[in-house]
Amino acid sequence: MLHHGPLLERLLAGDFICQISDEDAFRHLSNEQAQQEIDHYLRPLNRRLVSNDDHSVFYLGYHELNKNAREHLSSQFALTVQSLLPLLEWLQLVQETLGRDSALTAGDTIKLQEFVLRTEDNQSLRQRLQTLASDRFFNSQSEQLDSQVKLIFRRLKEHGYLLQPHAERQYYVVTGKIDYLLDVIRFIRDEEQLPVDDTPSQEALL
Amino acid sequence: MAPLDSTLTSNLFAIGAERLALLGKHHKALMQGYLDGQVDETTFSEAALKKLIAARILWRPDEQQPLALRPLVSELIASMVADENRRQINADVAEKLEQIRNRVQAYRDAQFKGDYSVAELQLQRLTEHVHDLSGQFEEAIDSLWHRLNSDFGFVSSLDEKIRENERAQKQLRRLLDGLDLLNFDELIELSEGNSHLRKLLVSQLQNQLSSHHSSLLEVQKRLVQLLAKFRQQQARSMLITNMAAFLRQHPKYQPADYPNRSELPGLFNQAPAIRPQAAIALDKASERDILAELLQALPKPNRIELPELHSANFAEQLVDEAIMARQQALKTDVENFYLKVIDRGGKLSALDYLNEQQLSWDSEIWLYQILADYQALPREEKQMFAIRRDETPASEVNQLMLIRDIQIALRAA
Repeated sequence: MLHHGPLLERLLAGDFICQISDEDAFRHLSNEQAQQEIDHYLRPLNRRLVSNDDHSVFYLGYHELNKNAREHLSSQFALTVQSLLPLLEWLQLVQETLGRDSALTAGDTIKLQEFVLRTEDNQSLRQRLQTLASDRFFNSQSEQLDSQVKLIFRRLKEHGYLLQPHAERQYYVVTGKIDYLLDVIRFIRDEEQLPVDDTPSQEALL
Repeated sequence: MAPLDSTLTSNLFAIGAERLALLGKHHKALMQGYLDGQVDETTFSEAALKKLIAARILWRPDEQQPLALRPLVSELIASMVADENRRQINADVAEKLEQIRNRVQAYRDAQFKGDYSVAELQLQRLTEHVHDLSGQFEEAIDSLWHRLNSDFGFVSSLDEKIRENERAQKQLRRLLDGLDLLNFDELIELSEGNSHLRKLLVSQLQNQLSSHHSSLLEVQKRLVQLLAKFRQQQARSMLITNMAAFLRQHPKYQPADYPNRSELPGLFNQAPAIRPQAAIALDKASERDILAELLQALPKPNRIELPELHSANFAEQLVDEAIMARQQALKTDVENFYLKVIDRGGKLSALDYLNEQQLSWDSEIWLYQILADYQALPREEKQMFAIRRDETPASEVNQLMLIRDIQIALRAA
């Protein structure tokens, strides 16, 4: 089990492991026997390995749900719900700003400078960015576009949605946690039967 | 027949070469015409336009329409530059097959008549048809791969990519249907008893077509995969847009309390972090060496600065006052020394004066203060005094100069 040490430490620290954030660890976690070994090891800590439906991200959940666990999960869930709109708006903003034809997916690269340059000259994008940056999820106090963007990206890095491969270079890679976010949204939509479509109507197809 | 044939060929050669040259001569204007969908007539001379129309390179689709490239020329360019927006795929196999049948018949007839030069010519034409048929598939497959590998990058939106992918799949189905029309039993029958035909129609064509068939199946598989990916991306984009719109319209929206359900959905089972901490085990003898190593590796401070204590500050202040008084006395004595120099007009030794006046100052402090006062004088006043230091080396091996005495004299103004 010792050779899993660094991976276990990352998992225990609350990291989401996906193909982008740690390819070797991800491959390892995709192995069923390794999953069992890790679960077995984590049991005394009341933890177990959890993954989303299509097994593209792994993280730790509670093994047994006691009262404390429920309380923690409730507050965690409240935070997640609060973060939904700002994250969705960020996804839309990036897609529109960079002129991409599809939503961001795991493995996509975003150059910070390109994003700033394109936002700078466009009043409406700037306005939207400003509103987004001042949302309490990002909570920027700055008036400067540059520092607003930097803060947004830093916060997303802290939350595990982005990865910065080189600390001194301003480009970011989208991690598999985005998949998790969309799974959460799909789940809520299905459970609550929200009127939120994700298949184009027949008209759009023709 | 033969001489007639050769004039016909040489005629054909001349016209063909001349018209191909036209393409080269007007290459820029024609390429611009390809891009714009119509040619700018003002860039050509009257005669050039006539030649281009006669060569069937340009045509006027309609009285009111501007001149444009003929479809075959556009197709040629599209294929040369792999412009997937305009490239045509020809999946018509039946026509080619019919031509092949006719050529085989004509070849056999000529052979039967013993007219070998005609038979030779027919065989050559037949060979061309067979190559055309195979080349048609090759071109189509190249175009399909090209579109696949560029992820349909020649259109900008995802919706268009999906439509292009679907169009490519339809083309592919037509190509596969076309391949099905080729009945090898028929081809074997056609080539019966003739080794040339057998080689051309059976071994060569069959080989090529079976490789085309497997290429097409591979392309089909990839197209289907890519379409699924496009659809997934489309679904993601729509989900993001629509959910964001919903949440904006319902700012107070709160979903059910999933974490407190008896069956907790895995998505919401996200445990808080545990950070494992570790330290050196002091009770383990084997780890002492590591500890020692770590200790050695610690960066050593250059100088230990003791923090000043309040009591020390208090004492210092008292001392300060006493020193100040003595300092003042010293300064006064030094001033008197300088006044004496001015009174005397000649030079005066500092140590002599110290002895003379029976002052209690340590000689070193005395000399130091005299030098300090001299340095503190304004520039003009400094020039009034000539200073001479009596110096000796500290020792025979040390070149450091020690000041033994100072002579100060008033300079003649």
